[in-house]
Amino acid sequence: MTARPRPPRLLHPAAWWAWGAGLVVVALRTTNPFLLALVLAVAGFVVASRRSDAPWAGSFAGSLKLGVVIVLVRVAFPVLFGNRLPGTTLFTLPSVTLPDWAAGVSIGGPVTLELVVGALYQGLRLAVVVAVVGAVNSLCSPYRLLRALPDALYEAGVAVTVALSFAPQVAVVARRVREARRLRGRPDRGPAAWRGSVLPVLEGALERAIALAASMDSRGYGRHGTAAPGLRRLAAGLTLAGLVLAGIGAYGVLDPSVPAVLRAPALLAGAAALAAALALAGRRSDRTRYRPDPWAGSEWAVALSGLAAAVGVVVAGRAGAVLDPSVNPLEVPSVPVAAALGVLLAVVPAWAAPEAPALAPRPAPELDVAA
Amino acid sequence: MIRFDRVSFTYPGASRPALSEVDLEVGEGELCLVVGPTGSGKSTLLRAVNGLVPRFSGGTLLGTVTVGGRTTEDHAPRELADVVGVVGQDPAAGFVADVVEDELAHVMENLGVAPDAMRRRVEDVLDLLGLHEVRRRPLASLSGGQQQRVAIGAVLTAGPRVLVLDEPTSALDPAAAEEVLAALTRLVHDLGTTVLVAEHRLERVVQYADRVVLVPGGGAPLVHGEPATVLADAPVAPPVVELGRAAGWSTVPLSVRDARRGAGDLRARLAPLRPDDVPGARRAAPPPTSGAVARVEGLHASYGTVPALAGVSLDLRAGEVVALMGRNGSGKSTLLTHLVGLRAPTRGRVEVGGRRPHELAPRDAVRSAGLVPQDPGLLLYHDTVAGECAAGDRDAGLAPGATRAALDRLVPGLHAAAHPRDLSEGQRLALALAVVLAAEPPLVLLDEPTRGLDHAGKRRLVAHLRDLAGAGHAVVLATHDVEVVAEVADRAVVLAEGEVVADGPAREVVVHSPVFAPQVAKVLAPEPWLTVGEVAGALALLDAERPAPVDGGAR
Amino acid sequence: MSATVPSSPAGRSVALRLRTRSGLLLGACSVIGAVAFAWPLVGDPSGSASSAHVGDAPWLFALLLPLLLAIVLAELAEGVLDAKAVALLGVLAACGAALRLPSGGVAGFEPVFFLLVPAGRVLGRGFGFVLGALTLFVSALLTGGVGPWLPFQMLGAAWMGFFAGCLPPARGRVEIAVLAGYAALAALAYGLVMNLSFWPYVAGTDTSVSFSPGAGLAENLRRFWGFHLTTSLGFDLPRAVFTAGFVLVAGRPVLGALRRASRRAAFGAPVTFAGATAPSDPGPGEGVAGPA
Repeated sequence: MTARPRPPRLLHPAAWWAWGAGLVVVALRTTNPFLLALVLAVAGFVVASRRSDAPWAGSFAGSLKLGVVIVLVRVAFPVLFGNRLPGTTLFTLPSVTLPDWAAGVSIGGPVTLELVVGALYQGLRLAVVVAVVGAVNSLCSPYRLLRALPDALYEAGVAVTVALSFAPQVAVVARRVREARRLRGRPDRGPAAWRGSVLPVLEGALERAIALAASMDSRGYGRHGTAAPGLRRLAAGLTLAGLVLAGIGAYGVLDPSVPAVLRAPALLAGAAALAAALALAGRRSDRTRYRPDPWAGSEWAVALSGLAAAVGVVVAGRAGAVLDPSVNPLEVPSVPVAAALGVLLAVVPAWAAPEAPALAPRPAPELDVAA
Repeated sequence: MIRFDRVSFTYPGASRPALSEVDLEVGEGELCLVVGPTGSGKSTLLRAVNGLVPRFSGGTLLGTVTVGGRTTEDHAPRELADVVGVVGQDPAAGFVADVVEDELAHVMENLGVAPDAMRRRVEDVLDLLGLHEVRRRPLASLSGGQQQRVAIGAVLTAGPRVLVLDEPTSALDPAAAEEVLAALTRLVHDLGTTVLVAEHRLERVVQYADRVVLVPGGGAPLVHGEPATVLADAPVAPPVVELGRAAGWSTVPLSVRDARRGAGDLRARLAPLRPDDVPGARRAAPPPTSGAVARVEGLHASYGTVPALAGVSLDLRAGEVVALMGRNGSGKSTLLTHLVGLRAPTRGRVEVGGRRPHELAPRDAVRSAGLVPQDPGLLLYHDTVAGECAAGDRDAGLAPGATRAALDRLVPGLHAAAHPRDLSEGQRLALALAVVLAAEPPLVLLDEPTRGLDHAGKRRLVAHLRDLAGAGHAVVLATHDVEVVAEVADRAVVLAEGEVVADGPAREVVVHSPVFAPQVAKVLAPEPWLTVGEVAGALALLDAERPAPVDGGAR
Repeated sequence: MSATVPSSPAGRSVALRLRTRSGLLLGACSVIGAVAFAWPLVGDPSGSASSAHVGDAPWLFALLLPLLLAIVLAELAEGVLDAKAVALLGVLAACGAALRLPSGGVAGFEPVFFLLVPAGRVLGRGFGFVLGALTLFVSALLTGGVGPWLPFQMLGAAWMGFFAGCLPPARGRVEIAVLAGYAALAALAYGLVMNLSFWPYVAGTDTSVSFSPGAGLAENLRRFWGFHLTTSLGFDLPRAVFTAGFVLVAGRPVLGALRRASRRAAFGAPVTFAGATAPSDPGPGEGVAGPA
C-alpha cells in the first residue's frame, strides 16, 4: 500500500508543544543517563528530519550548546562546594574556608566520584529538558504559535509579533548608525560608539511605532465586541478559583505536613483552572482567524506520541524499572528496556509529521539598501 | 465620495491652523492628486479623510469630513476601515505580520469577515497586485516595490471604496514606482476605486490624474480642479508643464506623449541652436585644469559571498558633478561607502587625495571625503539644531559658528531649538549636509538626497551643488531622479551588476537612454536638450536675435 | 454642537491605565510568584531530603508561573491596550531584545534595564510591567534561550518595570539621580532574585551552598548568601554600577526621546469636533472649538 504523499505544511504548534511536554515529563521522571541520552537522541532525530530552513530552526543547536554549559556548571558546584561524604576520591582541591561574613563556606577538598556522578545526572536531566524545549522551538514557527494564542492574549501576541519582526532591523540600524559616526569624524568602535548610537536608534524606533500605530488604527485594530456576560463571569470565576487553588497548592507543596491532595494535585488543578480561564476570557465574536492551522491526523499522531512516551515511562517506573540509579553506593545504571521502548514511541513524528515547506531563500545582506 | 465641508484643523498646542476652510469634493472613481510644498498640510489633509486627524493626533477639527456617507465625527478610524484604506510613506513600518498572506488578512480579521470570504478576498488581491508568487515569503525579504504593493493590498482586502496614499513612490526606484502606479491605475479604471494620492514627483503621476488639489500652505486657500488648469500657474509642476509654459503653448501638456504632439514646431524653432550656445549652460567637458581628487582602480567588493562591485574604475575630478545611476542593487551605495572609507575593498584600490580612505582615522577621513547617507537622520543625534551645529564644529575642529553659517546658506532661518526629527526632509538634509561640509572635504558624496524633497528643496540643493562644484569640490550624486541629474550633473556614470556600463558627459549618456532621459529630452528628441532652463534660455536668445520691428509704419 | 472625545481616559497621559481589578490581580499573582521564587528559603517540598528528588516543586512552579503571567497580561491588556500602546510595546521590546543580543543573557548581563527603567518611568507602571515581561520573552525567542528560567526572568523584569513607574515624580537632575539609583538597586535585586530562582536547579541539595529543605529560614539564608557571593555577586556589582552609570550619562536624552514619543502619540490629548462654523464666525482660533 503506497502512502499518499502529504503536501508540506506547518504542523499546529500545540501538537509540537504537546510532544515536547511529553518528553519533558519523561526527562523529569528519571536520572538514568541512558534514558536521558535516548530522549536527547529521539528529539535530535525528529528535529533533523522535520525542521525547516527558517531562521528559528537553529534553536536546537543553540540549546545543545547551552546544555553543555549547564552540565559543566552543575558539575562544578559540588566539585567546589560539595558535601564531603566518604567515597572513592578522584582528586583533591586545595581547601579554603571563607570568613564568617561570607557565610563560612568551605571551598575545595576531596572530590569524590559519587559527587561528580550525582551532579552529572542532575545536570544531564536539566540539559535534556532545555534541549527538548529547544527542539520544539526549532520545529514550530513562533509566529504561528503567537497566532494560535487564545483571544485574551491577542494584544500581547501582536506586540510580540511586531517585536520579533522589528528586532533584527534594530540591529541593522544600530550598525548603520555606528558607521555614520565615522562619517562625522567620531570613532566607530569601542564603548563611546555604542553609547552614541543609542539615541538615533531609539528615536527611529519610536517614530516607527507611531507610524505603525496609525496604520493599525486605520486597519480596524481595536474594535471591541463584547463577550457574552455569562462567559465573562465564568472566566472571572475560573480565574479566582484558579488563583485560590494555586495558592493552596503552592503552600502545600512546600509544607510536608499538609495532606497529599492539597499539594501537587491542588497546584495542578489551579493551573488547569487558570488555563481554562485564559481560554474563555476575552473570547470575542467579532474577530475571526485567517486560515488557522488545522488539527488533523498528523497533529493527533504527534501529540499522542509524546503523551504515550510519558505514560510509558511512568508505568514502567511503577512496574519497577530503575529510573533513578543510585549514586551512593555507586553502581552502573541498568538499561530499563520497557521504559526505553516507551521513549522510542516519541520518535513517531519523524514520519508522522508532514515536511515543513521550503521557504524562499533569504536575500543576501544589503547590497544597495534603501534606508 | 469624499467631502470636506469648511474644514479647519489645528494641532494641539499649535499657534496656527494646519488646514483652513477647506472645501473639497472628490467624486467616485477619480484619481485625485494632492500637490504642494513640504509642510503645507498635505499629510494632514490626507489623514483627515479617515479620521486619524483628529482622533489619533489630538487637536480641534472644525467642519465635517464625510467619506462614503459616513462622517469622521461619528466614526473612529477603525470603524471606517471598510470604507477607506490609508497607506503611508514607509510600508515596512506598517506591517504587523510575518508573511504576506497574513498581512493581507489582518484587516479582515479585525473586521470579523467570515473565513471563506477572507480566503477568497486574499486570493483576489494577490492576483490584482501581482503578489501570488511571494505570498508565503517573509515581509522583510521583499523589495521596496513589493512591500508597497503589499501595504496597498493590506488595506484593499477590506474592500474599501476609497484609497488614500501618502507619497507611495518616494522611497522607490523608477521601476518599482511604475509597478505601484500601474496597480493604482488598474484599481481606478477596473474597480472604480477613488484614489487620493500625495506625490512630490509629479512627472510620474500627473498624466493619470483626473483632478489635482494644490495645497499652497502658509494660509493660502486650496486650489483644485482639472490638472491642466491647476498646473498651468502652479508653483510646482512637472517639467513638461514648465516646458509648455516656457514655449507659450495654449494648453499645457501633462505627459510626454501630449507634449510631443505639439512639440514639432518648438523643435524646428530650436534647430539652429545647440545647448552649448545658451549662456550659463553646462559645458560638455569639465575644465581641463582640474586634477583628480579621487581615483578608483579595479575595485572589487562583496558582502560575504555576494559580489557587489566587480571591477569598477573611475576618476573623480575637482569641480565636476558626477551622477551615479543604476537600479537598486547595482552597487551605487557600495561604491560610495568605499570612497568614504567605511569598507575596505576586496581587491583593487581606492585613493582619495592620494591616501586610502579605509586606513584613515575617522577624524582625518572626514577631511578627505564626506558622505550624506540615504537617511540623513542617521547622522544627527543631538536634540537641537544648535547642538548639532556645535558638535559639527567640534568634530571638524572649526571655530564655533562655522557649521551654523553653512546651514544658513543652505536653509535660512532654521530655529536653533528645533528638534532635528521635527524638521522637514529638506531641512534635515540641509542640516546633514552642513555638518558634513563643515570640514570642507574635497570630495562630497550624496546618496539619494532628493528622496522626499519638494520642488523648492530640490532647486536649492541643485544650486548648492553647483556652488560646491564651482568652489572646486568634486561632487558625486547617487540618485534615481533623472530630472535632478539633468539639472546638475556634468558627468553621468551608470552602474549595473557592479560594473560601469556607461561613463561620459551627462548629456551624451542620458539623452538617448529610454530609462534615464529627462522629460524635456524625451519631448524634444532627437535634439539634445536636457532642462527647461536651457530651452527657455535658447528661446530668449532667439527672441533677442530676431530683428526688432521697424519703427514707423503702422503707428 | 461640539463633542469632546477623550482619546485616553482619566486625563493622565499614561500608555496603559491600571484598573483596580488589574492591580489586584497583579498583586495576587505577584504574591504567588514571590512564593515561586523564594520557596527554597523556607520550604521543605519532599519531607525526605534525598538528592535525587527535590520533589517536583521547581517544575510545578515553572509550569504555574507562565500561566499566572499570561493571566495578568491578559487582564492588563483587556480593552485598554490600544494601537499606540501595542505599537510602542512591540517596538520597545524589540529594542530591548536587540540590546540583549550581543550578550546572550541566560543569567548574566542585562543591558535591557537601560531601556526598561526610563520606559517604565515615562509610560507608566502598567506599561512597564508588560514591557518587562514581553522584552524578555521576545529576547528568549530570538536567542533560543527558552528554558525553565524564562518565566522567572519575565516576572523579575516585569517587576522592575512596574516599580520604575512607581518612583516619585521629579524632574531634571534629581530625576536622573533617582533613576540611576533605582537602576542600580533594581539590577542588584534582579540578580539576587534570579539567583534565588535557579538556586535549586543549579546547586541541587548536595553541596554546602545548596538549599537544605527543612533547615529553616536562617540556615537557608546563610547558604544562599554563600551561593550568591560565590556565583553572581561578582557579576551583579559591576553590572549595577554599569547600569547606573549609563542612566546617569544617557538617561536624559533617552527620557527626552520617550517623552517626545509619548507626546506625539498624544496619549490623553483632547480631541474636539465642532460642526460647521457659522458664517459670522471670526474663523478658526487657537484650539478653541467654535459653536455650531
